[in-house]
Amino acid sequence: MKNIFRIARWEFLTRVKSRSFLFNTFISPFLFAAVITIPLFIFNLQPQITTKLIGLIDLSGQNIKEELQRELSRSYRLNNQSSEYLVMNIAVGNSKPYKQMLAKYEEIKARLDSISQAYEQIKTERMQYYKNSRIPNRDYVLRTSYEKLQNTREEKELIEIEFSRFKSAMDSLYKREALKTADSLLHMDVLNAYLVFGPDFTKTGVVEYHTKTPGDLKEVDRFERILQTIIIKKRILNDQVPRSKIRRWFRPIYLKKYQLLPEGQQEWNFYVQFYGPLIGVFLLFMAIFTAGGYVFSSVLLEKSNRVIEILMSYVSSNQLMGGKILGLGFLGLVQIFSWFAITLVLMSLGVIPADKIAYLNWQNAGYFLIYFSLGFLFYGSIFVTIGSVSASEYDAQQINQLLRTIAIFPVLLSLLVLADPNAPIIRILSFIPFLTPSFMIMRIPLSTSPIMFDIYGTIILMILSIAVMIFIAGRIFRISTLMIGKKPTPQEIWRWIKVW
Amino acid sequence: MEQNILEVQNVSKSFNGHQVLKNLSFTVQGGETFGLLGPNGAGKTTTMRMIMNILQPDEGEILFNGIRRQRLKGVHFGYLPEERGLYPRAKVLDVLIYFGTLNNLSVRKAEVEAIRYLDRLGIVQYTDARINELSKGIQQKIQFIAAFLHDPEVLILDEPFTGLDPINQTVLQEILEEYKSKNKILILSTHLMDQAEKLCNHICLINQAQVVIDGPISKIRQRFREDAYFIEADRPIPDLAEIKGLQIIEEGKNSYKFLVEQQSLKFSDILKKVEQKARILRFEVFEPSLHDIFIRLIQKQTEELK
Repeated sequence: MKNIFRIARWEFLTRVKSRSFLFNTFISPFLFAAVITIPLFIFNLQPQITTKLIGLIDLSGQNIKEELQRELSRSYRLNNQSSEYLVMNIAVGNSKPYKQMLAKYEEIKARLDSISQAYEQIKTERMQYYKNSRIPNRDYVLRTSYEKLQNTREEKELIEIEFSRFKSAMDSLYKREALKTADSLLHMDVLNAYLVFGPDFTKTGVVEYHTKTPGDLKEVDRFERILQTIIIKKRILNDQVPRSKIRRWFRPIYLKKYQLLPEGQQEWNFYVQFYGPLIGVFLLFMAIFTAGGYVFSSVLLEKSNRVIEILMSYVSSNQLMGGKILGLGFLGLVQIFSWFAITLVLMSLGVIPADKIAYLNWQNAGYFLIYFSLGFLFYGSIFVTIGSVSASEYDAQQINQLLRTIAIFPVLLSLLVLADPNAPIIRILSFIPFLTPSFMIMRIPLSTSPIMFDIYGTIILMILSIAVMIFIAGRIFRISTLMIGKKPTPQEIWRWIKVW
Repeated sequence: MEQNILEVQNVSKSFNGHQVLKNLSFTVQGGETFGLLGPNGAGKTTTMRMIMNILQPDEGEILFNGIRRQRLKGVHFGYLPEERGLYPRAKVLDVLIYFGTLNNLSVRKAEVEAIRYLDRLGIVQYTDARINELSKGIQQKIQFIAAFLHDPEVLILDEPFTGLDPINQTVLQEILEEYKSKNKILILSTHLMDQAEKLCNHICLINQAQVVIDGPISKIRQRFREDAYFIEADRPIPDLAEIKGLQIIEEGKNSYKFLVEQQSLKFSDILKKVEQKARILRFEVFEPSLHDIFIRLIQKQTEELK
């Protein structure tokens, strides 16, 4: 028994001062936190730098610009309180084809105006003739004025048709020219984006959004929301609802999120809720794989340089394996306690707002330690096995990489866990020993009600899995460590496990 | 002084159906240097691993002073395996203390003993050096120290001299002589027959899982003596071949190895004849070397098995 502690002491002391341990304990967590939070900061800071210019092509003739500007200014402001978005109409007045067409349009419009005027005048005259029965030759006057009215109407109708055809041609030219101008402004980065409102956008609900970055979901989401408001407002207005009412109805809504926890309510913050457990999983993964990796490299080193033969002539294989797991497990605990200490210091300095993060408590720290210990023993015994059967470091590193990928897999599902930490699929996956520690460390802080069944269940299952793994590791380790340069076949390994 | 005795009794071992040792038996007394010899794959390393309790025999027993090996602690045994290696990044003294404490030495005692041996082997200046900073020869010396730091009753050294220069070989031999004089058991395995011949007084030759010969080296030599003689003169002696009943089996520049086939042929006649032509520098009974015995026995056994 004494030798287990001697081996444990050796393993611990030779690693605790190593540069890789110090790096993994004190630098890596900060690097990881920086890597995941810096893009977030950049993302949040970016819109604050300048006002964004939004082009507008309004084919509806409803003067959308004012309304759009008002809505955008109301919702999105920079730190200096000026509006984050500035809306500008795309002018096409300088376009030559449009200018020519406009001159002709004016001429047709003038003709239409004059004939409409003439038509109205005839109608007024005829009205007087009707009313005044004392007009000489009244019947004649009425008949001739009727003919005149008929002729004028026909002519007016023809001009109207011509005007409408011309107008639609002009609208399409306007749209074409406006798009050309807007595209060039977008290319030159004068505009951040531009919107095209069709003639009947209130009815169809379709508005075009042109930008170089349609993948910028935050922007797209903002415009969708603003346009939704504008269009619905217009639809309601068309149904004769008073403006004042509409304004009241459309007062912006802010969803304040609270989370119900066993100890009470707490305001919910996406970043705290998402990134906190994610950093937790990362730390757990780091601790398990730092210590587990040392078990692995220690076995591999002793096997490859044959120190194992000397060691096994003084101590039993079980003592050797036990000593390694004990010493390096203790190293993992030292790492975790270092993180606890750092967290406490950061909390007391106010860098981590402890009062806003309910899951930073001693109970969860206890769970962290439990799942670390279970994860370490499970993966540690697998590493002992792999280290002892591997013929070369290259083989061993490949399996090591595979195990790491499996263990970090739950992080890929972190958004699902955030949405529902107790979804059936997440619960099932939590009971797979390879994934248990990572899933449980995410689920425990995110679950609003205690998940004691899952906690006890996974702990029992992990203990059973560890017992099986250690048994297998013990059998394989004893025999395979003495083999040099030869990789055992699966049949051989199976035979070693079977032999009692 | 208590008489140490190591007994290997009818030990057999096989791996995956391949028999590595078959009914192996030998006994080593305290104060003896026992040479475990044999060609590659003969089962030497397996035998040593079983004495060290790294492997268990399938059949038979290994006893030390009458007690079964499995019941004894490793502390009575010291081992230098053929494949050498140490922790590359660890410091010399730390490694030695680690191995010492694994054999029940206190940290202080291990430290004192380690420094004493480091000094004796002339490498005390490397006490705080890291292993990977040292030459291969120095690393080997450190491994020696690790093997006998705890003063075991049985010391097993597998190919101990490979890689050591002659001066260090002599220093090591001195230490081993001193160790042996304490009535302890020293087991050597080597391919270098001249080393075995110089150091061992008891050898056991294994080939193809079996003991080919086992016994004191002087008796083995006697057994393989073949009435061969050696003569060296100051010039060539071509007349020697003409003597009836004498057969030259090996010829050097001025030296000859010959067999006397006729019992009636007298040495005085042979010497007289030679002295007429040349001055005799050396004349002796030729003892077969261990190397010759080794090759002869292995060849014989291989032919028999065929």
